[in-house]
Amino acid sequence: MSTDSLTAGKSTRRKSSRAAKPDPQSPDNAPRRRKGLSERNRPLWMLIPGGLLMVIIIVVPLLLGIFMSGLDLDQYSLRQWVSAPFIGVQNFVEALTASPLLHAIWLSVSYSLLAMVVTIPLGIAGAVATQNAFKGRAVIRSIFLVPYVLPSFVVATVWRTMFQPGSVIDSALHSVGIDPGLWLNGPQSYWTLILVQIWASWPFVYLLALSGLQSVDHEVHEASALDGALWWNKLRYVVFPYLKGPLSLAFLIGMLHHINNFTLPFVLFGVPAPSDVELLPILTYVTSFQSFRFGLSAAMAFISLILIAIPLFVYLRAVKLDDAETPGGKK
Amino acid sequence: MSTATTAVGRQSSEDFRPGSKRQHEVTKLLPGPMLAIILTVLCALVLIPVAYIFLASVNSDIGVARGEFFPSSFSFENYSTIWSSVGLATGLANSVLVAGSTAVVSALMSIATAYVLVRYQFRGRLTILRGLLGLQSVPGTLMVLPVFVLFSSSASYLGIQIIGTQWGLFVTYLTFAMPFSTWVMVTYLRGLPRELEEAARIDGASNLGVLVRIILPLSWPGVVVSGIFAFLLGWNDVLFASVMTRPESQTAAVALQVFGASQEGGAIPYYGQMMAASLVCAAPVVILYLIFQRYLVGGLTAGGVK
Repeated sequence: MSTDSLTAGKSTRRKSSRAAKPDPQSPDNAPRRRKGLSERNRPLWMLIPGGLLMVIIIVVPLLLGIFMSGLDLDQYSLRQWVSAPFIGVQNFVEALTASPLLHAIWLSVSYSLLAMVVTIPLGIAGAVATQNAFKGRAVIRSIFLVPYVLPSFVVATVWRTMFQPGSVIDSALHSVGIDPGLWLNGPQSYWTLILVQIWASWPFVYLLALSGLQSVDHEVHEASALDGALWWNKLRYVVFPYLKGPLSLAFLIGMLHHINNFTLPFVLFGVPAPSDVELLPILTYVTSFQSFRFGLSAAMAFISLILIAIPLFVYLRAVKLDDAETPGGKK
Repeated sequence: MSTATTAVGRQSSEDFRPGSKRQHEVTKLLPGPMLAIILTVLCALVLIPVAYIFLASVNSDIGVARGEFFPSSFSFENYSTIWSSVGLATGLANSVLVAGSTAVVSALMSIATAYVLVRYQFRGRLTILRGLLGLQSVPGTLMVLPVFVLFSSSASYLGIQIIGTQWGLFVTYLTFAMPFSTWVMVTYLRGLPRELEEAARIDGASNLGVLVRIILPLSWPGVVVSGIFAFLLGWNDVLFASVMTRPESQTAAVALQVFGASQEGGAIPYYGQMMAASLVCAAPVVILYLIFQRYLVGGLTAGGVK
């Protein structure tokens, strides 16, 4: 865990060298070795605007946040945060022992996993169903992506209305004889959140599964047709193996998105959220901007960064940064 | 849903065309009825809530609260009241201003950055590429407090008021949009042939000249995609906007969220207005998506970020 957090920290810290680099290096831009990429007359100054921006708005606040996690900060000392009392790791101790942080981590991770477990089959089903050409396929493909395109705050507002007591979902369930109880409060709110998250994010899995299906060679189809494979066996043994890569990618990115998702639970349940949906981002936000325990919140944010670093590390290791060191070559 | 049934019907009509029948049979993944079921279920899943937004926006608030799907009374009045009651007029103006300028500036900056990353070799190049991917996943909740403190410090130490203005949001969104926009441009520029650049260079064009006269006109689809993603980031954000704005600089997202949250209490909430406002906030995004769908889908799978 600690190594993961180190690497994530490093990748952001290395960015600081990015803005600093062009200045000292641009005078000696003599060619050293030639690969596919040019080393002469490099316009490295073009990196300065973006690099500067990222240093000021990402790297500096990141360091500031780590510093603040060691301070005793409240709404009174925030104005003079530089001179706030330094209390070492006490915020971390409090976050881990005396706050709902561990519960929030458990909620965040379990909800992300449960949502993924459902979105993956849905995404595969959608991709498999729209792979073969038929009339109206383009329309259906556009429809499938609508939940993904709608802004999260709109999705949350709409579902919040539909899940109100006595509102459309309740009356639909009543008509088939089910009394669902409260959706937006109490233990059931956790499942409400998962339902809405599934609705909003299955198209992403669908997209990646579709890109995987497109890489299935035609010969493979012919071979399984010659063998007379049944559709289910063909899917299971011939087509699905092609989806392994895209789906693992979808899984990792989806997990990152779900764990980081603030807007959906925030708008769906409001703050203070019911304790059954007090996810990591919500808890961090509430600790800052409702309880004004800024130091504690910074410590929580830092711990959540460590949590994020695990899938992120796997993702960064798996992704190919350069197309076999030949940029400008095949895409 | 009806499309699904025509799709199944069409299979047999295709059989008459020579060649195409065999082709279709070979690549077919699902039997017809199965296909129809999946398509119907998924379309219903998506379309019922979407249809509900519109139907509830023209319904009466009591009708929505009673759980009607089809409104018992129609009225488009909500669409005229939301501009002042929800504060959507100011909200949308601010959203367009902030997200729009973020889109333009971020697209231009990311093409310059991506150009250097794709065409030139320098130390730290792969690190920057990896950083671009990694930074997309830095949680917003981690950044919001330090950025807020940084911006409010600039008021007390430098005398520049950032919190509460659109500038603070613009700079923040621009920064957080840059990693993904740059990544989109990197994948796009890799596909461009270098011959034109070399020709321009022989004619004596400078680095900047090559970028502006050759790369920019050739890569406009990539520029549009990276601009749209930056736009969406600003348009969809609630976290930073809820902390760093005042009522007069509020974006549409925050205006809607505040309006929704303020409806808690005794009386029947203004559901109709909430749904109308939701639809108005979603419309620009959906329209942008429909226009540029072909390019956007490629960008989504390339970077895998909303």
